[in-house]
Amino acid sequence: MKLTIEVWRQEDTTTKGRFVTYQVDDATPEMSLPELLDRLNDQLVTAGEEPIAFDTDCREGICGTCGITVNGVPHGKVPNTPTCRQNLRSYDDGEHLKLEPFRAASFPVVRDLVVDRSALDRVIASGGYVSVDAGTAPDADTRQIPFKVAEQALDFSACIGCGACIAACPNGAAHLFAGALLSHMSTLPQGKPERSKRARGVVATTEEEFGPCSVYAECVEVCPAGIPISAISAVNREAARAAIRRNKDN
Amino acid sequence: MSAPAHSRSASTPSTPHAGHKGGLPSVYAKLIMAATGAIFAIFVLVHMIGNLKIYMGAEAFNSYAHWLRMAFYPVLPYEGLLWIMRVVLSVCLVAHVYCALLLRRRGATARGRWKRRGLGLDVFAARTMMVTGVVLLLFIVFHILDLTLGMSPAGPDGFQHATHEASYAYSNLVASFNRLPVALFYILAMGCLALHLAHGVVSAVVDFGVGVRPRVFSALAGLGLLFGLVIAIGNITIPVAVLTGVLQ
Repeated sequence: MKLTIEVWRQEDTTTKGRFVTYQVDDATPEMSLPELLDRLNDQLVTAGEEPIAFDTDCREGICGTCGITVNGVPHGKVPNTPTCRQNLRSYDDGEHLKLEPFRAASFPVVRDLVVDRSALDRVIASGGYVSVDAGTAPDADTRQIPFKVAEQALDFSACIGCGACIAACPNGAAHLFAGALLSHMSTLPQGKPERSKRARGVVATTEEEFGPCSVYAECVEVCPAGIPISAISAVNREAARAAIRRNKDN
Repeated sequence: MSAPAHSRSASTPSTPHAGHKGGLPSVYAKLIMAATGAIFAIFVLVHMIGNLKIYMGAEAFNSYAHWLRMAFYPVLPYEGLLWIMRVVLSVCLVAHVYCALLLRRRGATARGRWKRRGLGLDVFAARTMMVTGVVLLLFIVFHILDLTLGMSPAGPDGFQHATHEASYAYSNLVASFNRLPVALFYILAMGCLALHLAHGVVSAVVDFGVGVRPRVFSALAGLGLLFGLVIAIGNITIPVAVLTGVLQ
């Protein structure tokens, strides 16, 4: 496969970036996008040029580290699939690929295709946890959780924190991320004692770091974890619930 | 989240805080928009059903218009119900527009320089909320000048104000829609209303915190469009009937 690749090159956060066009002649359909970048970087290093910086880790779609915008779509053409699981077979021979970092004001570019997604960490730090005594592991049957409830919580906890929902949102909102966080924790008994406190913290930080949701539902089309649309309504619901419960933690 | 070692330490970006600090929280702004929008949705539905009474003839339509002024008299004063609705709707409108502008600005800031482009038709209604909203706002102003106040040049020639005894809504309406540009603007505004409602219904349900499953969400989008189209088409038949001479 021969591909023309337009890549965003940016020295660091403060310098201005630009698109640079490269040609890769020996790409194969089974290559993933990070593998394509590896191949391109081989070419660049051989030619004595600076390789393209991009985030990548597990390359099997579970870590949420990789994430670039391909032809304007976060992660790439195939819906609900992370960058590392997007193969070149979805593209035609001779096609033009435009690779950009995730675009959002909350994700400043660190270098080339690498963005700083620590705004997501700040949301988690403001309530995305359960305060438990770190003692010995409790007996497995101490807390009875119905199967369906556990499944529901697992569906929402599937979020890998890649940030594609924000990059896909015309408003730069993080409601799918924040809603998934709030939903899975308020579903399980371990999370219930701090349900309102968590909602106050998470919603406040989400407002500080990201935009408002206008229900475009673009996020659910790119989410590699398949977080359902019901997550976004959880943000308003949990916020309203916490406001009604005033100073209560649960 | 790991990253190439050379990049992180050298140029740690300043924390961006692309959202907002202080002010009305966006979640409340959205709840206000949903609540006021729901009031508007119910209002336009009732308004449309009332409008369709025109097909029952001049007398029936005029007596309906007269009843609106006399409703619940003497518990409510003359035009009491109308004034309650005017005040409620005006307050809702101010709140709805204020929150819309606030959220629009916050969304643009959080998105940053690189806008999302080339989105499909499924989000057309959502993306054009501001455009359809502005058209509707202009329409509301014109509509009040035209058929409530009858003020020239918005109102038709020979506009007759309602009295304590009778209303002339039928002849005013026919005179107004006999002007082609007014009828066309009305049809355009109704098209915008259909689009605005199509996304507004979906948005309101989600904003009220109703967790809809993906399939229900698609059904809801269809329902919103259907609701918008029913209201728009119901209303559009009236200027069409006037222009084609069905209503005289």
